[in-house]
Amino acid sequence: MATALRLIARSLRKNKIQPLYNSCSFLHSHATSFGFKEVREEEKSQMVGNVFTSVASSYDLMNDVMSGGLHRLWKERLVSKLNPFPGMKHLDVAGGTGDVAFRILESINSVKNRALLDVHDDNLLEETKIYVCDINPNMLNVGKKRAQERGLGDNSSLIWVEGDAEALKFEDDSMDGYTIAFGIRNVTHIEKALAEACRVLKRGGRFLCLELSHVEVPVFKELYDYYSFSVIPAIGELVAGDRESYQYLVESIRRFPSQEKFASMIAEAGFQKVEYENLVGGVVAIHSGVKF
Amino acid sequence: MYRLAAKRLLPAVGRWNPRFRCSSSGVRALAGVINPLRFYTSASSGTIPDQNPDNFDASASSSSTAWSQEERSRADDETQRSRNTTRPRAHWQDEQARVLQASLRHVIRLGWTDAAMIAGARDVGMSPSIVGSFPRKEAALVEFFMDDCLQRLIDIIDTKDDFKNLIPSHRVSKLVKIRLEMQAPYISKWPQALSVQAQPLNIPTSFKQRAMLVDEIWHAADDEAADIDWYVKRTVLGGIYSTAELYMLTDTSPDFQDTWAFLDERIRDAFDLKKTVQEAKYLAEAVGAGIGGSLPGFMKSVFNS
Repeated sequence: MATALRLIARSLRKNKIQPLYNSCSFLHSHATSFGFKEVREEEKSQMVGNVFTSVASSYDLMNDVMSGGLHRLWKERLVSKLNPFPGMKHLDVAGGTGDVAFRILESINSVKNRALLDVHDDNLLEETKIYVCDINPNMLNVGKKRAQERGLGDNSSLIWVEGDAEALKFEDDSMDGYTIAFGIRNVTHIEKALAEACRVLKRGGRFLCLELSHVEVPVFKELYDYYSFSVIPAIGELVAGDRESYQYLVESIRRFPSQEKFASMIAEAGFQKVEYENLVGGVVAIHSGVKF
Repeated sequence: MYRLAAKRLLPAVGRWNPRFRCSSSGVRALAGVINPLRFYTSASSGTIPDQNPDNFDASASSSSTAWSQEERSRADDETQRSRNTTRPRAHWQDEQARVLQASLRHVIRLGWTDAAMIAGARDVGMSPSIVGSFPRKEAALVEFFMDDCLQRLIDIIDTKDDFKNLIPSHRVSKLVKIRLEMQAPYISKWPQALSVQAQPLNIPTSFKQRAMLVDEIWHAADDEAADIDWYVKRTVLGGIYSTAELYMLTDTSPDFQDTWAFLDERIRDAFDLKKTVQEAKYLAEAVGAGIGGSLPGFMKSVFNS
């Protein structure tokens, strides 16, 4: 009885101390934050998994509605920054529904780029491999279906892999490019994901991350906050029938590190030439780094 | 000009363009041993006011890098401590320079394009993805080549001493000839390079590079006469250089002899023009003195009455 009481007291004290620790170790807090709620590390992965399982079917529609179609432009910008080339081995992590992967593949196979190919490079188009990795099988299934609709269903260059960003099953120095679009926010340990990214990239390989980020522009910030907290969960309820998931979404954006902080995390993982580009005044940021 | 001064002061820097904020990310690299000499030069070069023509970003969206000065000074200490670990991590700007250098070999076959840069990256053992990290891709290659030629020209100026024996117009002619000859191997693809340089995004950098080139040539030709404006001299030479460059594109004579003849004539014209302008100025002054203060006198009488 006494030991039980002592254990309870200890856990209560731990919970009180935790907020203090949060202010000193921001990175540790990402692993235990689920939006504005505090959760245990082990639970976060499960909770995020539940969110995506439930939104998978209407994920793309919701993206269109929430961003007013802008997310397509952001992804185009990401792919043009990547500058894909034939024969590329690319890994798109958390790319469940395949948006970025399709764009990369279509860019490599586009008539304009094909016209520039050397006669000796005939095999390169077949050597191109785009891996789409996602931890959630529901998202991957939606992606496979969309690939069929787009006519890329039988394309041997597109490979769907179920995997965890923090523990990738790919070999060291095997990828030319690594992208993660709107996914790194949902990872429990960002540093692990970044370290894995550095591991699988070849020398000269690029890391690109497209993510919702922090707005500092004065008036626009207020408008954006209002839109995020009032409008988006309401749309989530209307369109996807799931207010909670979209509440998590907007909260997790606020909890995510700022552009500068995230850039320093990328540099710490081993990347060089780390830069970021703000789109729409900071609503979205594309961070990039090169592995040398 | 600042870059030339920096190069003369810090021979170890070599071809380095100090984007000093970016470079610190290399300093902070995990398990990295930065070559101590490079590290120190990077720390000190960062404080030299340097015009970095490649750092121009005309895009509307804001982009920046992660490092502030305080973090750099902290990184300094960290790297000193980690000096004894693992393999030396090459500075990324050197790697980029190596890729560009290797790409030049493919330019004759593939032109000033992505394809040449991809081939260059493969030669050096880097993934071709690195091509995407160059700010304006083909323009980076062309600008690298222009910088390289300028550096070679400076080296030639420094080592050869026989310029003093020539009159200024011959000195200028010889220097322009030396510089244009560096482009001779790429002459079949040079129109493409010119078109890349003429693109709106690339104009500021290419203009700056040409300005530096022209300035360097005048400085070496060491024209003592300070009559005409500094700007006029450089503009005139810039015009001569560009026209000679264009003439060279369609010149089929052996060793570009026609181009050199054209160049000599233009330079002679320019120097003659300079004398003509000088004489015209003296004439104008004399006439003005002759008319006397007639206009000021007239104005005075108007205001006094």
